[in-house]
Amino acid sequence: MKRLILTLAALLCAPYTAIAAERVELSSDVYVEKISHDANGRKSVVLEKPLKVIPGDRLVFILKYRNVGDQAAENFVVTNPMPSAVAFQETIDGTELVSIDGGESWGRLKDLRVRMGGGYRNAVPEDVTHIRWNIINGISVGSQGKLTFRGVVR
Amino acid sequence: MNYQRSKNLPAIRSSRCLPGGQSLMAPFAALLLLGVSSPAFAAGTVAGTNIENTATASYDGPSGEVQIDSNTVTIVVDELLDVTVTSADPGDVATEPGAEDQVLKFTVTNTGNGTEKYTLTPDVARGGDDFDPTLVSVVIDTNGNGVYDPGVDEIYAAGTNDPELAPDETVTVFVISDIPAAPGDGDRAEVNLSAEAETGTGVPGTSFNGQGDGGGDAVVGTTGADDDDSGFFLIQDASVALAKSASIVDPFGGDSAVPGSVITYTLVATVTGSGTLTGLAVSDPVPADTSYNAESITLEGASLTDSDADADAGSFDGSAIAVELGDIPGGQTRTVTFQVTID
Repeated sequence: MKRLILTLAALLCAPYTAIAAERVELSSDVYVEKISHDANGRKSVVLEKPLKVIPGDRLVFILKYRNVGDQAAENFVVTNPMPSAVAFQETIDGTELVSIDGGESWGRLKDLRVRMGGGYRNAVPEDVTHIRWNIINGISVGSQGKLTFRGVVR
Repeated sequence: MNYQRSKNLPAIRSSRCLPGGQSLMAPFAALLLLGVSSPAFAAGTVAGTNIENTATASYDGPSGEVQIDSNTVTIVVDELLDVTVTSADPGDVATEPGAEDQVLKFTVTNTGNGTEKYTLTPDVARGGDDFDPTLVSVVIDTNGNGVYDPGVDEIYAAGTNDPELAPDETVTVFVISDIPAAPGDGDRAEVNLSAEAETGTGVPGTSFNGQGDGGGDAVVGTTGADDDDSGFFLIQDASVALAKSASIVDPFGGDSAVPGSVITYTLVATVTGSGTLTGLAVSDPVPADTSYNAESITLEGASLTDSDADADAGSFDGSAIAVELGDIPGGQTRTVTFQVTID
């Protein structure tokens, strides 16, 4: 458990690598989630910053944003296209909208249907092509936030 | 909203970031308890593929909408070393003592995500079976038709023509054996074929630095990067016993062997064993001092003609009768009769 804390702490302490111009910075980080069991059967989770992964690896994507300007940013919308080699699993906060058609249309995953043969089936996380968060209240000057989602290497 | 929660987090880069880390653990732990499962993958993303992630954002500023991109994170997909070997015969392959070049069929599938060569090793000397065949060769189904074509399909030589398989590709491999003379009806022999990834094998997770396709590492997958399976030969032997009997009817209604008496010979062929005798034929010369009664051959009570040129199974060549019985499985009998008259 201590290892987990330290790893997550390190993650939080990671410096921003913001490329953004303007007044809002947006950064993207990807971690691989390694689950291990110790001799007592206790499970520990370590997030590692990977350079390499294998199919089946569980990835945690963390997007961070921060308003570094001197005015509020209204109607703040963050969009993350899923890399094609990664199957979406879930977000941590569950407030996202998703697209299963390459960003054409958006909705809650539970409301989306996939055409199959002559009918439809319910969309599953693996169908997701894009994730989007609408932060309607905007971000005030100096404030920041974090959006987290999981995927599995196909 | 995420935004609301994150506002309460200590500032990034602050020395007080540890408590923030602690508070983040809660959602992760909860998700793990729900048992988020890792889906199963056949081969998965091809080794060497770059996974690139970039997020975009838009917001309304004083001078209209602003679009920004995040940095791009790039991760390479390593090569996963996996293989599956499967016996491709529907069941035991029937054979018989002394049979040569008997074929067992296997498939070898690259269940990893990179192109990989595999070393094949046959084993005919397995324990726990009834006999050991003699290995003749291992043959790659070069023309990919799933059938052993002698002289066409390539004979495998380890280290020379090890099959190289793309992700999800399958090759058919034949193990050719001779059957010794000793085994009896119903005996079984196990023949095993194993395949090992040439990059390396080992405990799942074992990593071979820089040896993966596309410049990444090669990592041993759940199969251990080796696999094997067995096929079986089953001896199905059969033998035939021929019994001959005779009955006589003399011209006076008795059973004396006098000139003019008619002798009916009955030949009963009895096949035993679990196999089938193929192309079985019986023939019997007409005894001296007797004359064959034309068109008197019967098989299972049905008349046969004397001509060898027609389609039926019987014939008489002037000195002996013959009947082609064909393929007779063990447990069956065939009864042939013919008649002669004592001169």
